[in-house]
Amino acid sequence: MKGERLRRMIDLHAWVGMVSGLALFVAFFAGAINVFHHELHHWQEPHYDTAAVSPMGMDALLEQVTGQYPDARERLYLLPGEDPGVMWYESSEGDWITAHATDFNAEGVHDARPRSALADFINELHFALGIPNPGWPINIGMTFMGFIALLYGVALFSGLLIHWPKIRKEFFALKHEGNMRRYWKNLHNVIGIISFPFHLIMSVTGAAMGMFTVAAVLLGVLVFGPQLRGVITEETEVWPAVDSQGETVIMPLMEDVLSAARNAVPDLRVDWLEIRGYGDAAGWIDVAGSVPDHVGHHAHVVLDPTLGTLRVIAPGQRSVNFASLSPVYSLHFGDYGGLLVKMLYVALGLLGSLLFVSGNILWCERRSDRVGPGRSSAFLLRLTLGVCYGVVIGIAFSFLASKVLPHTPFAGWVALAERGIFALLLVLLVAWSLRASPLRFSSLMLRVAPFCYLALPVLQTILEGGHAWLEPDNRLVNLLLLALAGSLWVVRWQFRKRVRQAEPHPLWVGKVTEGHPKHLTETERESGAVTTR
Amino acid sequence: MKYFLGLLLSFPLSLMLVGLLAAALPAPWQDWLVLQLIAVVVLWMVLGLLVAIPARAWPLLVGMLVANLLVWLALQFTPLYGVGA
Repeated sequence: MKGERLRRMIDLHAWVGMVSGLALFVAFFAGAINVFHHELHHWQEPHYDTAAVSPMGMDALLEQVTGQYPDARERLYLLPGEDPGVMWYESSEGDWITAHATDFNAEGVHDARPRSALADFINELHFALGIPNPGWPINIGMTFMGFIALLYGVALFSGLLIHWPKIRKEFFALKHEGNMRRYWKNLHNVIGIISFPFHLIMSVTGAAMGMFTVAAVLLGVLVFGPQLRGVITEETEVWPAVDSQGETVIMPLMEDVLSAARNAVPDLRVDWLEIRGYGDAAGWIDVAGSVPDHVGHHAHVVLDPTLGTLRVIAPGQRSVNFASLSPVYSLHFGDYGGLLVKMLYVALGLLGSLLFVSGNILWCERRSDRVGPGRSSAFLLRLTLGVCYGVVIGIAFSFLASKVLPHTPFAGWVALAERGIFALLLVLLVAWSLRASPLRFSSLMLRVAPFCYLALPVLQTILEGGHAWLEPDNRLVNLLLLALAGSLWVVRWQFRKRVRQAEPHPLWVGKVTEGHPKHLTETERESGAVTTR
Repeated sequence: MKYFLGLLLSFPLSLMLVGLLAAALPAPWQDWLVLQLIAVVVLWMVLGLLVAIPARAWPLLVGMLVANLLVWLALQFTPLYGVGA
């Protein structure tokens, strides 16, 4: 690639990277934790050292919920387990309600206990930056993140074009030759190159999921016309909506439903059931789960109330649309290859976070070198540090609120406190970062952050004893938190090493002057083009 | 600004190009909607890169606008709109 063109490609890479970098940091850091979303749901449940009360079974729970809440009869989700749960849309509250078997007392009255919503909050941070969806037809946060994923894809392709000619030379080239900025730049490149396939998967699947609504609307307007609307529903729903004739039926036992589903797909591991038209002869039950040893592992068995099989959607027995939709989800969430793949996703997710921070820092330093001292690069560096540390420490405090509040008189505030403390810390740390010296601010935050994550498993052990480590899902989440603490400690160690070995860039100490030495990137030296903008 | 405009113009272009492909292929377009969506996303990312290639971006942006109109016109003559169906 010619020098001028290469420089324009670097500019594009930097522009899309800067626009999307901070949002991607939030998505990747929360996403690394969200890999263990299911396990986190168990971790967030408080464990009281009292005599265990055996909750009612799935059938009794369904009877109670559908008897007390007529909306639940139309559509509900059943989560099997030791303490089965039911989720339905309650029109009087305008929201989805979740009830567990343990929420009902001996008389069968629903006595909803305040529950932590930490796992859902981390998930929302990941896919929508925590931007709430007030029930609009389009989820603003999710669509925004879809566009960010699109920019991320452009950054990936432009990065590949920039580095392709010297990819062999740069591979594992973690050298600094006295210039520590070279070391960080090479680290950015090496992470980008090694994890390129992972990032490509994340950007394409993230953009496809996030931009789905907008793309579907425009496909309808520009290409397929109004016929598209019905087709999307038909091609992505497991079975059409219930057309009730008013005929009632006695619902089958859920154990029989699960047996019938396993008869249809012998390897099925059930995740949840969707019941439409509970007690209606025209209703149906979708048993949804996974078939192991497939990347696109999602499976559905749709049954009628007499347990007749209406449809089977499983690997080898599904349409092209379902066969291509399933890998989009599983490749994005990393739930197709067991614990090893999940751990790999966590590691690549955390490295991705480092990639975005280092990209932003490099851009700020490079801009300061190229155009001289300016407020924009100093502001952006401080904002980057404030947002990144705010998110990392804010999430740790959300975990802390989730574990501590249920054991206090403020248990009813737990879900609100998890979000509130995150937002408060984020705002405070961003405000602080804009005022403080970046070097000192980073040193302090990196000293605090590992201990925030280290404290969480310790706290759970103090509050809940051996349950914190004996229950497999708790153990996994606690090990993840320790791994996060360890990763932050490694970043701190590298940061201190850099400070010891090389003089920090003037931006970090707030001393940018016209005469400070210019640090050109290798690519800029080779292209011979350093211009002022 | 030029990058943003490039991305904005690339989106409908990628949607309509995939629509043209759907019209040209013998398979029913309804059967591979998810693959079309993935193709739109990848094409959008690649088209977004084009803005960085020429020295002056405006001719390319105008070219993209014209390409959008041409592809839209071409779509009107496909079986998707009843022509030759």
